[in-house]
Amino acid sequence: MRGRRRIDYAADIAVIRSGRQWITVVVFIGLLVILPMILNVTGNMNWVSFLNHTFIILIAVLGLNIVTGMAGQISLGHSAFVMLGGYGVALLTIKAGWSIWLALPVSALVTALITLVVAIPAIRLKGFYVAVVTLAFFYIAQYIIRSLETTGGIHGLTGIPSPAIAGLTIKTDFQWYFLLLIITLVCILVSVNITRSRLGRAFLTIRDNETAAAALGIRVPMVKLRAFFIGSLFAALAGGLLASYVPVVRTDQFTFWDSIWYLGMIVIGGGGTTAGAVMGVAFLRLISQILHVIGASGWIPLSSNDSVYITYTIYGLTIILFVSFQPRGLISIWQKLKVNYKRWPFGV
Amino acid sequence: MSCSNEEKTKERKNLNQAADDIVLNTTNIHLGFDGVKALDGLDISIKAGQIVSIIGPNGAGKTCLINCITGYYRPQQGSITFQGREILGLKPYQIARLGISRTFQDPTTYPSMTALDILMAGRYIHTNATMVESMLFYGRNRRQELESRDIVEEIIAFAHIEELRKIPLGTMAYGQRKQVEIARAMVMQPRVIILDEPMSGLDEVMKEIVTELILNMYDGGMTIILIEHDAQVVMELSHSIIVLDHGRKLSEGTPLEISQDDRVAGVYLGIQTS
Amino acid sequence: MDVATVLLQLVLSGILVGSVYSLTAMGFVITYRSANVFNMAYGQFVLFGAFIAWSFIGSPQDPRFPMPIALTLTFISVVVFGLVVERLLFRRMIGRPLYSTFVLTLGILIFLRGIVMLIWGPSTHVLARTVPQGPVYLGSIVLSKEYVWSFFLAVSIALLLGLLFRYTKLGLAMRASYDNQVAARCLGVSAKLNSQITWVLCAVIATIGGILIGTVNGININLGEMVLLVLAVVLIGGLDSLIGCIVGGMILAIGTNLVSYYISPHIPGIDSNFSMILILLVLLIRPSGLMGTRPIERV
Repeated sequence: MRGRRRIDYAADIAVIRSGRQWITVVVFIGLLVILPMILNVTGNMNWVSFLNHTFIILIAVLGLNIVTGMAGQISLGHSAFVMLGGYGVALLTIKAGWSIWLALPVSALVTALITLVVAIPAIRLKGFYVAVVTLAFFYIAQYIIRSLETTGGIHGLTGIPSPAIAGLTIKTDFQWYFLLLIITLVCILVSVNITRSRLGRAFLTIRDNETAAAALGIRVPMVKLRAFFIGSLFAALAGGLLASYVPVVRTDQFTFWDSIWYLGMIVIGGGGTTAGAVMGVAFLRLISQILHVIGASGWIPLSSNDSVYITYTIYGLTIILFVSFQPRGLISIWQKLKVNYKRWPFGV
Repeated sequence: MSCSNEEKTKERKNLNQAADDIVLNTTNIHLGFDGVKALDGLDISIKAGQIVSIIGPNGAGKTCLINCITGYYRPQQGSITFQGREILGLKPYQIARLGISRTFQDPTTYPSMTALDILMAGRYIHTNATMVESMLFYGRNRRQELESRDIVEEIIAFAHIEELRKIPLGTMAYGQRKQVEIARAMVMQPRVIILDEPMSGLDEVMKEIVTELILNMYDGGMTIILIEHDAQVVMELSHSIIVLDHGRKLSEGTPLEISQDDRVAGVYLGIQTS
Repeated sequence: MDVATVLLQLVLSGILVGSVYSLTAMGFVITYRSANVFNMAYGQFVLFGAFIAWSFIGSPQDPRFPMPIALTLTFISVVVFGLVVERLLFRRMIGRPLYSTFVLTLGILIFLRGIVMLIWGPSTHVLARTVPQGPVYLGSIVLSKEYVWSFFLAVSIALLLGLLFRYTKLGLAMRASYDNQVAARCLGVSAKLNSQITWVLCAVIATIGGILIGTVNGININLGEMVLLVLAVVLIGGLDSLIGCIVGGMILAIGTNLVSYYISPHIPGIDSNFSMILILLVLLIRPSGLMGTRPIERV
């Protein structure tokens, strides 16, 4: 009879597992809170705007992480759901006069329901067919929105109101930062919760082996729909926030290339984990910002077009390198580092 | 070790089977693909609480039969009943939920998931936290997670796979994957468990471990259907053996009867008369 | 013009244009069949090939090399490109799951787009004449000479490919690799050679398609969008069927013409999204395409 280790299961499945982790998290969040204040003082507000956009992108990517990273359904049309969320909020606030706090969740729900309609044919198909369906949906959604008067045609909609909390309207980048930070943290928590739930595990089994997943009693098509639904909730939330932040929605804000960036972030970060998604977003956004800054500062003579193309080239190269050599993504590199750090100096 | 297992089995066979009813039944199953007849009028009865082995040469239709029972293939003709209820035409997930669980020949089912993940995933049908509850985590979801973990840990101890908990399936050795696969089927707490070639590819040590596991499962009252090529294992473990050939039932009986059946020896060389 | 003539015009010009789509789509099918890769970057292959061609051929007002030399140089460059792509990117992916290679092609998609724009810039270029241009009259029906030439070119190359696949040992080997790469290797098919030929063919066909399309539409970044049309063609026709490409190309082109003529006046812009609508319809009704092989699920 082997001796049994006593494991506290509640602690094992908790998000934050030790006192030390708590400290790390608190410090990290503290830094994030202080950051904009530092930037405010140094007058570098562009960085705050950059961070705001990054938060929004992160929320959208968390959604894609569930659909593609966890459930393995490659979605090339994620940008469409962001767009629908944005237009939903715009329509509800401008045309129906709703408050933004009501418009956001409703728009997210409606978008997620529309996603179900798109997903129903997709879930019976093999991997890349799903991708093509989502792609086709993206273009058709764009076409429909561009053609309708209600949605402002190619000019889009303007004048989306800003959210207000207790009388304070959130207008400046600085104010938006804190709102977005809080919302993003909540989204990250929800994403982690899904990962450690029966639904999350069901997603993983579907990703790895649909046939075997059915033998577990999992009703694969329905679970895939849930993945799409949740993924779109996140995406639409991001879109709605973007609509209020900019505050304009136009179809050309949401491109096919955005969908590819989101996918790239998941691949590079390491699919299936929330931490991976966060890393992927941070990594690629940082690179693009660095390139942008280099281009703008004029150290290297680059036209603005060129810096965009260089960004493309480097993004593409990064994805290629990661898929070829490190398919588990940044998160696996991080885990290896952690293991080596713990074992140091006893080596790999 | 094999001596004691054989003795154990003989002991059990001498005990009166309290539950003598038929838990799984196939009648006149016909299955064909593109002109190839895989199953040709198969009648099989499995009694509750027994270990039944299905053997036969490659291509005899063993895995086809399992796939029919578990809903992956649909026979063109015939009927399959489980605990008195017709299950032909049901989808695999429905059959799993009714209480029939199976392993796959290729144990590399979910390469990226750890053993713990996979076993916890096996508790899917026994939990019912909704999507929203999962997103919020606290409440019923958390309670069910902890309950599932308790049961999973019991199975982990039962199957002796403690060290494999946090290792991804893809990184494990073949034999370990088999263990996890069998444990996974057990975690579902089925009425009937179907093991598809659990011994294939294993060395003698692993075979002993898996044999012991099967016997322990039997002790727990489970009905076990075994598809196997390893004659020794089949002879040791089974209460009853069904021999298939070309999609038909060639013979059926106790290991002793089968080992003395010339038809079987002729068709399926390798059975040693013990 | 009476209805019959209009229809005939639409159908005939559809057949001609469709032949170019069909030919271009064949490059996609080849990589899917032989290398088991769903190449989302194919549009960028077309783009890249077209720009390489333009570099050597030049514009009417600024020709570079004499046509035969230009074409030869283009051909050589593109073959090298195919070999490089195969060696650096896809060789190591042999045997990896479809998901991985698919994502790899997404990376290549982005990368090529960036590189092409960096090297050649975003403006449109006109390609000097590779085939005779001008109108052809059949009664009251007008067809363009380039498309007639393209049609014959596309048909010949399609026939050659068909013969290659069906009757040569190499073609047989490539088909075997589709079904089971490991087994094919056991039969003496060099996986390396198979892989190289696949990607070279892919690059070459993409370039030919790019030249043909670029002749009419100009050489610019939009050539990358070809992948969408190609996707429509291969999905309609069946991902693993070369004949399906022909069928798919015809349906797409003729369909677009008909929609453009009859429906666009009422619903503007629908013809440019017709390929997407077709894709959705096909995937809803018959995902394996008209001529594709239906997959058999084995547990």
